[in-house]
Amino acid sequence: MNTSGLIIKTSDLWKKYNIDEDGFALRGVNLEVKSGEILAIFGKSGSGKTTLLNLIAGLDKPTKGKIEIDGNDIEAIGERGRTELRRKKIGFVFQFFNLLPTLTALENVLFSLELIGNPDVKLALDALSSVGLSNKENRYPFELSGGEQQRVAIARAIVKKPSIILADEPTGNLDTATGEQVLNLLVSQCIQSGATLIMVSHAMNTCSFATRIINMVDGLLVEDRSSGDCGL
Amino acid sequence: MKIVIKAFLRYLLRRRSLSILQLSGIACGVAAVIGMAISARSALYSFNEAIEFLRGKATHHIERPAGSMDEVTLMEIKDDPAVDFFSPVIDRRIRAGDGEVVRILGIDPFLDSAIRPEIVRTISKGQSPQENNALYDFLYEENAVLIDNNMAGQLGISSGNTINTNKGAVKVVGTFSNPSGEPLIIMDIGNAQKIFESTGKIDRIDLVLNDETGFRNRWDKGFKIESNKQRRENLTALLRAFKLNLQALSLLALFVGVFLIYNTAMFAVVSRRKDAGIMRGIGVRRSEVFFAFTTEIMLFGIAGGAIGSVFGYILSRILIDILGNTISDLYFFLRPIPLPWSWWNLIAGIALGCGASLLGGITPMIDLVKTEPVSALRGRIYQRTSKNTVKRLSVFGLMIISIGVFFLIFTSAHVYIGFAGTFIFLIGISLTTGLVLMGSIPLLRRFFSYLSGTIGKIAISNIWLNTNRTSIAVAAFMIALSMAIGLSSLIHSFRHSLIWWMNSQLRGDIYISTRSDVDVPLELYEELKNMPGIGGIDVYRNIQITFRDKPVHLTAIDSSVLQRYTNFSWLKGGSENWDPVKKGSVIISESFSRRFRIKEGDKVSIESAKGIVSLPVTGIFHDYSTEHGVIMMDRSTYIDLFNDRTINSLGIFIDVKGEQRQKIIEEVENMAHARGLPTSRQRQFHDRILAVFDNTFAITRSMRTLAIIVAFFGIAGALMTLFVERQQEFGIYRALGFSTKQVAVITLLEGIGMGLISFLMSIFTGSAIAYILIKVINLESFNWTIFFYFSLNPYITAFTTAILASIGASLYPLWKVYRLYPQMQIREE
Repeated sequence: MNTSGLIIKTSDLWKKYNIDEDGFALRGVNLEVKSGEILAIFGKSGSGKTTLLNLIAGLDKPTKGKIEIDGNDIEAIGERGRTELRRKKIGFVFQFFNLLPTLTALENVLFSLELIGNPDVKLALDALSSVGLSNKENRYPFELSGGEQQRVAIARAIVKKPSIILADEPTGNLDTATGEQVLNLLVSQCIQSGATLIMVSHAMNTCSFATRIINMVDGLLVEDRSSGDCGL
Repeated sequence: MKIVIKAFLRYLLRRRSLSILQLSGIACGVAAVIGMAISARSALYSFNEAIEFLRGKATHHIERPAGSMDEVTLMEIKDDPAVDFFSPVIDRRIRAGDGEVVRILGIDPFLDSAIRPEIVRTISKGQSPQENNALYDFLYEENAVLIDNNMAGQLGISSGNTINTNKGAVKVVGTFSNPSGEPLIIMDIGNAQKIFESTGKIDRIDLVLNDETGFRNRWDKGFKIESNKQRRENLTALLRAFKLNLQALSLLALFVGVFLIYNTAMFAVVSRRKDAGIMRGIGVRRSEVFFAFTTEIMLFGIAGGAIGSVFGYILSRILIDILGNTISDLYFFLRPIPLPWSWWNLIAGIALGCGASLLGGITPMIDLVKTEPVSALRGRIYQRTSKNTVKRLSVFGLMIISIGVFFLIFTSAHVYIGFAGTFIFLIGISLTTGLVLMGSIPLLRRFFSYLSGTIGKIAISNIWLNTNRTSIAVAAFMIALSMAIGLSSLIHSFRHSLIWWMNSQLRGDIYISTRSDVDVPLELYEELKNMPGIGGIDVYRNIQITFRDKPVHLTAIDSSVLQRYTNFSWLKGGSENWDPVKKGSVIISESFSRRFRIKEGDKVSIESAKGIVSLPVTGIFHDYSTEHGVIMMDRSTYIDLFNDRTINSLGIFIDVKGEQRQKIIEEVENMAHARGLPTSRQRQFHDRILAVFDNTFAITRSMRTLAIIVAFFGIAGALMTLFVERQQEFGIYRALGFSTKQVAVITLLEGIGMGLISFLMSIFTGSAIAYILIKVINLESFNWTIFFYFSLNPYITAFTTAILASIGASLYPLWKVYRLYPQMQIREE
């Protein structure tokens, strides 16, 4: 257990997608995130935001560098360890919702619980209720609006009470008003459960929900501020 | 875990059309294999039953090497201490009213009761006066017969009815149960001798021996003694090439079937790629994805296998008739009885479906499990294999082709090695599909762009951009088309070789009695010999003997006549090869020469009525009459060795031309018909042989069609998957202003493009397969040379099939385009 309060630490993180090309998606990123922080990462398309998020989640491997979650090097814990990490400690919210199309809203949420060995329907229903979808648990993703799908995705992420929630453009596919509601919901759920939230976004309104803001340019962290105001 | 599986399986319900298509594909592949296997098993089972039924309790039989034996032999047999029981038999063929040649067995009901008690019991166990009359009638009515129940049912007759035959009308006095597929008529031996004009003669004696060695020592000269084991082996050997043909066709069906299942598994992987990525993203293990996907594949395997086994059973009922016709044409009359439904069929179908699914699904499964979640989460991406991978696969393919060729070189060791070589060669060629796609795409893009502008270009590009999916479908279709070209070329070349052979060897103006059921009386031959205008008569006698424990044919002919009137094609030398035949040498067929590795100058030792004789071989000729091999000798030599003057048929050569010739032909026909003998003019005779030939290849043609149907599902599946996955892309087309028709044309052109590429590849592969089948497999299976005759028809048929099947495969996606396209949006689900 990490006693410094740091839950995520990246050291000199590099990522190159195509070995034939020169460009790097990440170029030596050093980042420390404390437990309970609400972090917003901004940057233009191609700046490396999503890559950073994927690396933290162990969905992808860095070309060089080290990532520690809760004091554990995620390279050292192996594929099985990374899967366990995503299963128990990390909740993921994607831009395109990424719900399983063949499962209902309830089943999508219950799925998360099943993976941690606690397929409790009541917990899943509560999670759906907490995101305002108490009457739509039996609907399939294609029967829900974009905002509702994202709320299911949030319920899926928070239901297992993870210590980290990673959100990749959570409002990128929603209108402004719905986006605002979703952010509100996401942040409040994280604060309520004490989870660390890292949001990657283009949307300026995300700043007002964050306790810390990072700006990325060409694979590098260029600005790191503790503020609720974007000022970018 | 439960939810992972649920998520996978619900996909099948959501994509019902695709699932049905995939299921149909597996079912078709399994049905082809099961259908072929059951029909082959039924035919062989009926064949064995026929042998067993006729054998009864006999342990051996004794006969002359050729022709009948005198009845007086029975007296000596009776006194032989090794003989427990014996039964004399007349074993002939008779043509029943419906034209079928049926086996007729003349027996002594009292002596035969120890050998075939079931039959004899039929007529002697009667309790009622009517049944007792049956025995009386059977013994004392000249034309009384018993027929088997199956035949009675088929002809719709019962006791008291009469059947017209080429030996006059016979009266049915009873029926008996016959478990085999060979129709059988039983007659009292005395009556049989009368109707076959063989008074005082018998064909063989069935025996129950207690001392084989002692008996053989006493009867070794001038007689042929065969144990049941030998008889079964000889008869089974007769069907060797036929069985081989069936096995090859089953393998072909299995090969295309596995390809199709591979296709199916591949589509399933592609369509689940993103779902697997999401699952991995939220913490599902690789092993769990693997298990869920395996469950899905196995469910497909079980369901497809079960459906396939039922369809296969139904298919076998159709194929069995074709098989029965072929066996009857080539070997002996057999109406195979379909085996009853067995639950083992279902188990075999499921095992096959699951096994092939696992085999076909293993690579796609590895691909799915190995995919990094982040790459899967990017959603559907074009599945083009990189150029380097394509090149690596092609190099690997070339290596596999070399291994295939290496196997083919050693086909002479065993024909199975040739089969293996052919299939390895095909696998190798399939692996080069990507390279061919890569090479042909620029050309096709130009061609399709010329035909339909940008739409054509998009369609062809889609084939290239989705090579992971399209190349498998193209490879499967290419193999089916190649097999079609190869088999058609083989059939065409064989047919033309046969025509060439008939034109050089079967040159008689008219033939008398070329059927197995009637012999020609000696006096007719004598009469015809003296008829003015007739230049020569070939007196033909054919018997089956064993040479080095294998069945072969021994044929007696008039060598002077054949030398003068025919143009035999010799492997070495020419017409002068006949000269030593006139003096007692023999000539052999190419199949005999290859089968027993005997050349000119060697000697063949055969068992004659005079004991074992060694005869010099002075020529080898091309022959397609039997793959078992022929030893041909002059009739005078034959009579000297076998003391048998039977004539099976006559080939008559007429010297005069014009009207006189026609008159002579008609006169010969009248003389033959007056004796109840059938005749055929040269053209009719040749046509009949060609009809038998065409019948023989009926099953090959059926399997060729089946392979194309199976491959058709492959193309249809590929198109459906492309369509299902590209709905977002279609949304973009819509946004760009494409009409529904234009999108439909893209789908159609993709199908045609894939068909066209498959066809282009099959031109080379099909020609190679044709060469392998003609020059390697056929030579090893039948031991005869088929000459290659080129024909454009197989290629034109393959082209038409490719285009029509591609259009057919596009129909469902087209319908979906028209139904769904206007509503498509540029959004993820």
